Amino acid sequence: MKRKKNKDERGARAYAIPPALSAPCIELSGNRELLIEGSKGVLEYSTELIRVNTVGIVITVSGRGLNLRCISESALVIDGFITSLAFDA
Amino acid sequence: MLLEFIRFFRGSVRFTINGKFPERFLNITAGRGVRLWNVRRGADFSACMYMANYRRIRPLARGAGVRLRVTQRFGFPSLLKQYRDRTGLLIGACAFLLTVFIMSQFIWSIDVVGTQTLSRTEVLALLRENGLYVGAFKPFVDDTAIAHEMMLSRPEIGWMAVNLTGSYASVEIKEETPPPEVKDIAAPCNVKATRDGRVIRLNAYEGTTEVEEGSGVVAGQLLVSGVMGSPEVGERLVHADALVIAETVHEASFSVPDHLTGIRPNGEFAERRSAELFGLRLPYGFAGVSSERSVVLERKESPAPMDVTLPLASVSEKVYALEEFERSLDEKTAEGLLLQQSELYETFALCDCTVTNRSTRLTHNGGQYTLCVTYTCEEDIAESVPIGTYTLG
Repeated sequence: MKRKKNKDERGARAYAIPPALSAPCIELSGNRELLIEGSKGVLEYSTELIRVNTVGIVITVSGRGLNLRCISESALVIDGFITSLAFDA
Repeated sequence: MLLEFIRFFRGSVRFTINGKFPERFLNITAGRGVRLWNVRRGADFSACMYMANYRRIRPLARGAGVRLRVTQRFGFPSLLKQYRDRTGLLIGACAFLLTVFIMSQFIWSIDVVGTQTLSRTEVLALLRENGLYVGAFKPFVDDTAIAHEMMLSRPEIGWMAVNLTGSYASVEIKEETPPPEVKDIAAPCNVKATRDGRVIRLNAYEGTTEVEEGSGVVAGQLLVSGVMGSPEVGERLVHADALVIAETVHEASFSVPDHLTGIRPNGEFAERRSAELFGLRLPYGFAGVSSERSVVLERKESPAPMDVTLPLASVSEKVYALEEFERSLDEKTAEGLLLQQSELYETFALCDCTVTNRSTRLTHNGGQYTLCVTYTCEEDIAESVPIGTYTLG
């Protein structure tokens, strides 16, 4: 994972992309809907907790009645009653 | 909405995922570009995907160590599969689509807006002459050419447009406003008499009076001259104008045969009703009358929601039987009929005159009654005639 992170950062530097642009893009609508672009996979999924792997960080979404509304290769949408977001590097 | 539509046409499945690591399966399928939605983690782990993708991911499920089971199918492909043995439905659907396509190639409703003096019937008749009518084949209808032709043929139409929207034609017309008649009040002219008569009142606004009140005049006689003169300035030409009220005499005769033959309703009638659909009339009944001669009174009602006349109509026809009759007129009845004719003549032909007296004389010879009426009237007999214009009278 660490090697991959370094590779991504090197890639971003090579193309002169600011580090923030190579990071996942997270869009939160109130506390009812969350869009994550740049996801690398779902690590854990239950109605109370969803953990999503992204480039370099793992996003933990906690709440009630959580659902994966849509999942594609690089993005996913979570809806439900979101109570907290946590980021693990 | 659009997404729902696409999902309906592509067809989708809802399936359950049973296994130890369903998240792994989600990641593998998403990594292969397969889109999943409505992923639910309840008593069962379930998700939805396109039907075509479901066939692709079965080997992936085995690799992820999960078992999939379809619980529901949605969309058009599953409907098609469900009804594949019912060929009648398919034929019906195809026939319906074909009918809709064919019917959309014809004009089924025409509306005319903006007419003032022209009647709707007149405009519809003109449109029919130019190829636009209910039931016309739309590819043969040239809206621009029709508008040009009609504007050329009828000068009353100042501007016109034919708008075709599907099977509906809206004809917009702006009628030409005729320019007002401008009197040339500067051109020198005389005032002459239009009829024989006796002058009762003469008001000359401009010009030299040539007759006096009480004098008799004949048609074409000079009443007021446009040549005015004075010792100081000499002679000059003016636009003579005058009101000349004269007592005139009009004569008219009216005739009626003493033995009349005609047709009249004999009291028998029948009512027929029919429905009109796309120009095709479907009668409910064929009631008729026994008489050979008949007259039909037709009443047609078409629904027109939001000012768009639909190609449906309810037609009611009343057929009245007619019979021939013969009648001999006595002198009193003939005089009554002829007096009615004379009153019509007075109303329409002598509308510019005030009838002060009338005398009648009824004669009967040659198988007909003749009423000679002499009207004594008061009317304006002044007519402006440009100087230099000679009329033979």
